[in-house]
Amino acid sequence: MALEIQGVTAGYTKEVPILQGIDLTASDGLVTVIIGPNGAGKSTLLKVIYGYLRASEGEIRHDGVSLRDQQPKDMLRHGIAYLIQGHSVFPKMSVEENLELGAWILRNDRKAVASAFEEVYERYPRLKEKRRMLAGVLSGGEQRMLEIARLTMTGPKTLLLDEPSVGLMPKLVDTVYQEIARLKEQRYTILIVDQNVRKAMQIADYIYVLKLGRNSHEGPREDIQPRIEAIIREWI
Amino acid sequence: MGISVLLEPIILAEIMLQGLVRGSMYALMACGLSLIFGLMGVKNFSHGEFFMLGAYVMFFVAVFMDAPFILGIGAAAAVLFVFGVLVERTLIANLRRRAGRDWLLDAFVLTIGLMIVLQNLALLTFGSTRRGVPQLVSGMTEIGPIFVTNERLMILGASALIVTMLGLFIRYTRMGKAIRATGQDPEAAQTLGIDVNRVYTYTFGLGAALAGIAGALLIGIFPAYPTVGFHPVIKSIAAVILGGLGNVPGAIAAGLLLGVIEAYTTFFLASGWQHVITAGLIVLVLIFRPYGLFSSAKGDRP
Amino acid sequence: MTAETERRSKSTARPRFLSELTPWRTVKIAIVLGLLVFVPYFSDSAFITTVFISAVMFGLFAAIYDLMIGYAGLINFGYAGFIAAGAYTSALAWLHFGVSPWLGLLLAGFVCALLGFLTGLVSLRLRGLYLALMTFFIGEAIRFTISNTPDVTRGMLGLSVAPFPDIFGIDFSRGNHLNYYYLLLVIGAAIMTFMTVLVRSKYGLAFKALREDQLATESLGISTTRYKLINFTLASFLTGIVAGFYAHYLGILSPTPQEFGVPRTVEILTITYVGGRGTLWGSLFSGFLLIGFQEYFRALGAWRLVMFGALLIFVMLYARRGLAGLKKYVW
Repeated sequence: MALEIQGVTAGYTKEVPILQGIDLTASDGLVTVIIGPNGAGKSTLLKVIYGYLRASEGEIRHDGVSLRDQQPKDMLRHGIAYLIQGHSVFPKMSVEENLELGAWILRNDRKAVASAFEEVYERYPRLKEKRRMLAGVLSGGEQRMLEIARLTMTGPKTLLLDEPSVGLMPKLVDTVYQEIARLKEQRYTILIVDQNVRKAMQIADYIYVLKLGRNSHEGPREDIQPRIEAIIREWI
Repeated sequence: MGISVLLEPIILAEIMLQGLVRGSMYALMACGLSLIFGLMGVKNFSHGEFFMLGAYVMFFVAVFMDAPFILGIGAAAAVLFVFGVLVERTLIANLRRRAGRDWLLDAFVLTIGLMIVLQNLALLTFGSTRRGVPQLVSGMTEIGPIFVTNERLMILGASALIVTMLGLFIRYTRMGKAIRATGQDPEAAQTLGIDVNRVYTYTFGLGAALAGIAGALLIGIFPAYPTVGFHPVIKSIAAVILGGLGNVPGAIAAGLLLGVIEAYTTFFLASGWQHVITAGLIVLVLIFRPYGLFSSAKGDRP
Repeated sequence: MTAETERRSKSTARPRFLSELTPWRTVKIAIVLGLLVFVPYFSDSAFITTVFISAVMFGLFAAIYDLMIGYAGLINFGYAGFIAAGAYTSALAWLHFGVSPWLGLLLAGFVCALLGFLTGLVSLRLRGLYLALMTFFIGEAIRFTISNTPDVTRGMLGLSVAPFPDIFGIDFSRGNHLNYYYLLLVIGAAIMTFMTVLVRSKYGLAFKALREDQLATESLGISTTRYKLINFTLASFLTGIVAGFYAHYLGILSPTPQEFGVPRTVEILTITYVGGRGTLWGSLFSGFLLIGFQEYFRALGAWRLVMFGALLIFVMLYARRGLAGLKKYVW
């Protein structure tokens, strides 16, 4: 059991909790997808897991270690990487520097950094070609690849992806999902928040539906997929 | 003395040099300001008092204790780094954690308060006497037709060296990369395990150290006294704006330019005119090049 | 204002002014006004009266400063230079052209308004650091002009200024502090009323929007430039009037930094922030607190400014609402 969330309540102010007792488990090596209408608290949940926002109640565990009082900067050390919503490359730094920052927590362990580079360049030869270019001049799809590659530099166990396909051209959306499928083959534990229900459904193993800060439906893809039209209709 | 004498190339070159020396001071100060501004958006008005404290440290180390002046510069850098770190930790960080967008104006006003406190504490502690040295380095060097004091050469050389070292630091070191990453996207930096609070504190200390070095380096020209930092901070803020906010190389170039303009206006007109000219320059730049003289890309605007 | 009165004032059609006037509040206002009017009168002490004059005068400057920084987020770092412009305008108009100081007050207002308008024009789309720097340069340029034209202004030698001539049979010869004090109260009442009405009008709303988010304000079709100009011009006009009073009351002006430079601006800014920005009236209370304190401890010297700076830092860190934050306990 990789990532377990029990009864998490959290919000930006005490009076208005956005999440009201969420339970969720992202199992080892599987793709877990969270969907839900706007304002369901999907992205907020990821922020709470990653320590940007403190849960007022409930427990968050990763491999049995409590994450409740951890800060974002410590999360990679616990083996959790987070792809934040929107662009997150450092545009005025080179591709190589971006990847180097991905390996920040390895400090001066040159060997580990070198092998991480080797591995990432092997998987993403495009990035190797363009390693001296500024990240800001890469195409949108390449930037997203760089972001994903950067996440894996330290070999984390679990990946949190917040809207990985938002703002990309339709053609690129497919590439991103192929990439996520590839990460799944490598046995990463993946938790995705997505607006793109149909695409997310294709790669999901287990699906949670949130609504207004609470669990609304959940189940393996086989269960949810046939009912999805009905579930979405409930939102409106 | 007729105007034709005033326009002698040698005299003009002499003034130019004088301006570059002053300009190098503004450039050093502006580097620190621009670094801090570019990273955290804080406009630090007490930067001039960091300069002032650097000058006092230099005075006590190099004159009072008669240690070599290199030690004085090192001591000024170290003391001001620690001081800057303390200021960030105890004051600025408290505001930074506050949600909402107007913490930056609050921080600006806070540094104004800090400026007044430091100036007057210095006055109470050291008095208003100007404490300086006639020169740190003696002798002259002949460069073509003009003679230049070695002190000025030292200031120019040391400034160039420090700016180069800063550039290398930012470009190649681990902390330098963290500073750049945090400046571009603090949230993303945090997800990679960078402790952005530490980066902010460190950068503030670094900026303060640069101001301290400037104060120490120029003690032969600007003796230490409580309000010595005010003029330099105004000029270096102007340099930061002219160079484009957060653009460190731009700030350096603008600092040099302002030093040269100041030297020429003080020579040909009354000294108060430099304010009018600097203000006019800023107005023109803001109209024609709103992102700064030396920035082509869209920079940050307050 | 409590949440209750706020709701009430919204639900009824009566003007907010009236709905806020609960009986208890009326009594409190009367007490404050009474103290303001009668303390100097009954104390029969020139010292007390001069302290009251300084307190109200700087309280007014701070309240006007609040109109700029507290409502519109505009930081004027050359404010003392604007005060200098107003003070010298009235003084010089009398000295060189024989303009009556009574007219001089208005003239000072108009000259300052013009300066404020021009400052607004050159700093059109700026705020924060840019505006602080531009206004600093403008303030310094004014001070520099005054000290560098000794033929007209007597420069650093100092300019002696005539007292107000008698009007309606009221004696304004120098030393008659009480009459100066009541004159200031009249001017102050007019200014405070004007500003209070202004910030509650749609202009006040636009100023606040400007302070909160310049871009969003523009996207609502509100011209930030226009309201910035209005704010700056009006604030400068009011500053000029108080500055004119300042000149004729003090009787001597000199363009030193302490009087018309950054230290003075910081003093006023501190009074504003201690009073509580965005409250107007808080500045008057903190004017009494700080100026009174300062007059009482004259021997403090440089410690006085240390205290002002430290107070400013304290307010930024721990008491962002200033004295106004205490309002709920006493008002």
